Amino acid sequence: MTTEIKPINMPKWGMEMSEGDINAWYFAVGDKVNAGDDLVDIETSKIINTVTASSSGILRAIIGAQGETHAVGALLGVIASAETSDADIETFIALHTNAAPKSEPEAAPEVVLTEAAPAPIAAPQVSSSASKLAEGQDDSLVAASPVARRLAAEYAVNLNNITGTGRHGRVSKGDLEAAVVAAGGRLIGNTSNTKGSGVAQYGDDSHVKATPVARRLATQLGINLLECRVSGDRGRVCKADVDAVAALKQIPLAQTDSRATAGTGNTAVESQSISGMRKTIAARLQSSKQTAPHFRVHIDAEIDALLEVREQINHSNSDAKVSVNDFIVKACASALMKVPALNVQFDGEQLSYFSNADISVAVAIDDGLITPIVTGANHKGLADISNTIRDLATRAKLGRLKPDEFQGGSFCISNLGMYGIKQFDAIINPPQGAILAVGTGEQRPVVKDGTLAVATVMSLCLSSDHRIIDGAVAAQFMSVLKGYLEQPATMLG
Amino acid sequence: MVVGGGPGGYVAAIRAAQLGFKTALVEKQHLGGVCLNWGCIPTKALLRGADIAHTLKEAERFGFTFDNLSFDIKKLVQHSRSVAGKLTQGVAYLMQKNGVTVIDGTASLADKCLLDVDHNGTITQYRATHIILATGARARNLPSIKIDGDSVWGAREAMTPTALPRTLLVIGAGAIGVEFASLYNDLGTDVTLVEVENRITPAEDSDISALAEKAFKQRGIKVLTNSIVQSLDNSGANTVALISGSEGQQHLEFDQVILAVGITGNIENMGLERLNVASQRGFLQTDGFGKTNLAGLYAIGDVAGPPWLAHKASHEAVICVEKIAGVEGVKPLNKDQIPGCTYCRPQIASVGLTEAQAKAAGHSIRVGRFNLNANGKALAINEAEGLVKTVFDEHSGELLGAHMIGPEVTEQIQGFGIAQQLEATEHELAQSIFAHPTVSESMHEAVLDSLGIALHQ
Repeated sequence: MTTEIKPINMPKWGMEMSEGDINAWYFAVGDKVNAGDDLVDIETSKIINTVTASSSGILRAIIGAQGETHAVGALLGVIASAETSDADIETFIALHTNAAPKSEPEAAPEVVLTEAAPAPIAAPQVSSSASKLAEGQDDSLVAASPVARRLAAEYAVNLNNITGTGRHGRVSKGDLEAAVVAAGGRLIGNTSNTKGSGVAQYGDDSHVKATPVARRLATQLGINLLECRVSGDRGRVCKADVDAVAALKQIPLAQTDSRATAGTGNTAVESQSISGMRKTIAARLQSSKQTAPHFRVHIDAEIDALLEVREQINHSNSDAKVSVNDFIVKACASALMKVPALNVQFDGEQLSYFSNADISVAVAIDDGLITPIVTGANHKGLADISNTIRDLATRAKLGRLKPDEFQGGSFCISNLGMYGIKQFDAIINPPQGAILAVGTGEQRPVVKDGTLAVATVMSLCLSSDHRIIDGAVAAQFMSVLKGYLEQPATMLG
Repeated sequence: MVVGGGPGGYVAAIRAAQLGFKTALVEKQHLGGVCLNWGCIPTKALLRGADIAHTLKEAERFGFTFDNLSFDIKKLVQHSRSVAGKLTQGVAYLMQKNGVTVIDGTASLADKCLLDVDHNGTITQYRATHIILATGARARNLPSIKIDGDSVWGAREAMTPTALPRTLLVIGAGAIGVEFASLYNDLGTDVTLVEVENRITPAEDSDISALAEKAFKQRGIKVLTNSIVQSLDNSGANTVALISGSEGQQHLEFDQVILAVGITGNIENMGLERLNVASQRGFLQTDGFGKTNLAGLYAIGDVAGPPWLAHKASHEAVICVEKIAGVEGVKPLNKDQIPGCTYCRPQIASVGLTEAQAKAAGHSIRVGRFNLNANGKALAINEAEGLVKTVFDEHSGELLGAHMIGPEVTEQIQGFGIAQQLEATEHELAQSIFAHPTVSESMHEAVLDSLGIALHQ
């Protein structure tokens, strides 16, 4: 239906996110928006990310202006068809914010970003426009029927605010809907039901005084005149009164153009989301390559001892299937503890050191690449690392990672060894300071004590951001890493 | 990769494919597994034949008389096989539709995440990050009595008879045993049912067992509880069974014997011992989501232990795959919410704890009962033999268990199942409106009885 009004809400990226700053809107009020378009950049204490449009239409209103901070779930804007009346939009906004409907939200620039404050101490300023019914503590302990709980989520209502009339005060569907109506809200339901139901619900309205236009309009829209306010002259229901009820019931006032959603929409959603990821990869890597002066250091590590330990672990431990890559993650984590200057993030101005090694592992997926994070890898054993990566990689390929599982990280590993790649360079994954590129382990001739021997050798290449990491630091890291890989037992110490 | 194409395996494969996994399913014989080919479905086709036999016997009461009635068991078996065939094709279609690669052959674990599939002697190796075993189970033998396919049948032979035995001994009165006893009795065989426990259907509530036993005895089935078949002698034309029970030992002669004393998991020859996969009493040990102790290996369905029910396997399949995929809100298997259905006549259906189990678990309980002889619909269809029993926790009002015996109760039990899942109390059930006239009104009355306010008894 083209008359549907779609809210743009503050997303929840990860468990800790409670609010976000509006960084920039890509569209202005009145612009046409296609499903999948980048709409608005939101900044949290951890990341900046882009909200994309879930449906096509006209951006009819912006409630969350640039620079403002809004709570998770708060209404930021409204997308609807061109035909949807302003009254409908205002009612919708009023319902979802409990604020005055005509507040010209985009003209409220007082809260403009005052300083580029580092994110961790974001002001706990909750959006004044959050719905009253939505506020409150965690409501998971409130007694409510399954239907009521689901509806509460849909209405964004906190169950703490509802008085239950069921046995033992349990909140029923009826309780919830009554509260929503009482707060001036409109019930979710199919609008076709409301059409024509007026007569049955309110009884005969033939005696109600109304203007001829109002009476005809009411008949057409299936609105009972008894439902309407009386604001016309001589105590009559006027057209505006009928319009108001129609708006409340989301009944379309004008014939809508049914072609609007057909055609381009469907296939575009799919391809947009793919290209969205590709766009992100392109933008991030280009910016990394341009802004971070990469320098590389190479080293070879003999991994025969490592392979033997791996065999022993896998043989004795049925709960784990440890791969060479798992060893590399573990070895990197240990090496980062020894050389903390590499365990960093750099945003161009501020350099952050981390006490734990949160290691991103590059995983190839159908339409791109993603880097899920093994958090606190320095505290995890090999089996734990292995099972964590198995889980992360499985879900990465299914597209089921949560944002906080792939955003962040203090170091990155990209391993192309399984393709037989001997050696390669990787581009730093910003805001990290370095990335390790891992080649395949293969038997090579090596010279030991002046004689030729055969060993399983793996080539490693570290790309570092020279703005913050010096050559000697990178070299030191690689030599420590080589030590751990060649003598895995030393990682235990 | 999924090993086994039964209701556990093929459902796991479909769900995995839906979630975006690259999925393959290995099956050594028939898609659909025991359930579709040698279990639930073909036996229900046979039992429909038994129902018709029973209806014909009752027809006179409704004014019908006829003569020259004849019965050809071969045709009934043929019908049963054709249903199984159709459903197997249906599963093959579902695999194709969902993009699941079906691999013919017998699988064994070569290593963690590595499967050898033997197809007519050619072994192909497959690597998979996640391997789900859904290899099912098979009929168990007794030390002294083994299924030989000749004088001693297992379920598989019992559902493909070429002739109707005159006399039949059924060893074991669990779900499979009573279904065959009921089937052959309806078709005209003289049936003796032997059970080592003190009642038939020992897994059900004792009230249900008592009513089932009474109904069976009325139908002419000889029921010997607290009895053991010591030995079988096949030397003569017939099989002579030595049965010892509370009344001492007796020798009885039978045309045919069916052994139905439980099942054992298909866990052998798959390389599981070598990789130290944990098992217990013939079944693989798993957590609530099917995960075994071996990295990347999961087990669902019969091979993962009781209850041995197709719908339990399918449910385990879904939660196992969803857990791997990280779907939010997946809950581990709750064995107290798995309904069980037995298709003897009258039918038996139950979910949750029996009265005795509830008491043993320390609940103070409130029990409701309603007898079907006060139910209009049951009387009208002349099947007023039955009972609905509900067990509620007195304090929380939680529906701990529901037990039913009577006509089509297998189609009604899910009403209680839904109530249990939604954690409805006796009050919600009492406030629900049940349609009249239905057999299921008795469900309502049993709930009302638990509150002491039954209206029709």
